[in-house]
Amino acid sequence: MFENLAFSSVTEFLQMGKYTFHVWSVYGLFAVFVTVNLYLPRAAHRQFIREQKRRALRDAQTAQPIEADEGRPDANGGE
Amino acid sequence: MWQWFFRLGSPKWFYELSGRWLPWLVVAMTVLLTIGIVWALLFVPADYQQGDTIRIMYVHVPVASISLACFPLMAVAGVITLVWKMKLADMVAKCAAPIGAWFTAVALATGAIWGQPIWGTWWAWDARLTSMLIQFFLLIGVIALRSAIESPDAAARACALLSVVGAINVPIIKYSVEWWNTLHQPASSFSMAEDSPFGPEIWVPLVIMIFAVYLFFVISLILSTRTEILVRERRSQWVVDLVAADKTQGA
Repeated sequence: MFENLAFSSVTEFLQMGKYTFHVWSVYGLFAVFVTVNLYLPRAAHRQFIREQKRRALRDAQTAQPIEADEGRPDANGGE
Repeated sequence: MWQWFFRLGSPKWFYELSGRWLPWLVVAMTVLLTIGIVWALLFVPADYQQGDTIRIMYVHVPVASISLACFPLMAVAGVITLVWKMKLADMVAKCAAPIGAWFTAVALATGAIWGQPIWGTWWAWDARLTSMLIQFFLLIGVIALRSAIESPDAAARACALLSVVGAINVPIIKYSVEWWNTLHQPASSFSMAEDSPFGPEIWVPLVIMIFAVYLFFVISLILSTRTEILVRERRSQWVVDLVAADKTQGA
């Protein structure tokens, strides 16, 4: 398998002939692209569940008679 | 058959099914992406003309070809939205637009980086490049149109129409390299023959990367569609139960 390697040393591999910038910037951009497009939708999903839980909690608390929190509408975890 | 079709339109059903499929899709994507990238970076022989820039092909070609899948997908979803008013189709269409814009932008950027040493220029008003740029602006247009219209139903209809019209650009991009003889080269024909300039050692890793990037597109689309489903269905009982049952997040 390793006799088919296109490079004979690590330095040669990192240099990519005379195209160091071109090859590595494309692969770097690709890595950022993949990471961002998998991370952002997951983060939005988590954020939604967190917000809905907070809202459910707030609704549950305001449904009960309010005593100490009276006059402070934001006391139950408003953002 | 129609029963299956309409069940597919149920956001809850899609949410549950996609949740079961996601781990397997992620495993398949990770395996293919690892094999493809290692092969492209370490084992593909440097091209006799292009040298090591040939390795750029293994990112540029998959990303660019899958970016072309976006508008047809949005157009089909748009027709389903217009004809059957299926909610899920519009959710998929809404989520596909920004992902497609990303794919098109990355295809343009990697193409520019590849073009600079090979053609001697980052950009040219070549037919393929220009039609790809138009696709990018059309996708930005679809995203802007949706955010500009307040009523979700009207926004869905307007975006569905624009997607159907925008899909006309896809065959123009595809055949631009044949209709106009400008800078961008036509698609290469690959061969099984060992002595061909595009033998299996060149195209097998490319096919692997195309599958890997396709899976990435599907996974990314499923992930954002799942969130879109929860946001739009947040008042329905199954979402309320799902949020209540979630143990992973503190409130």
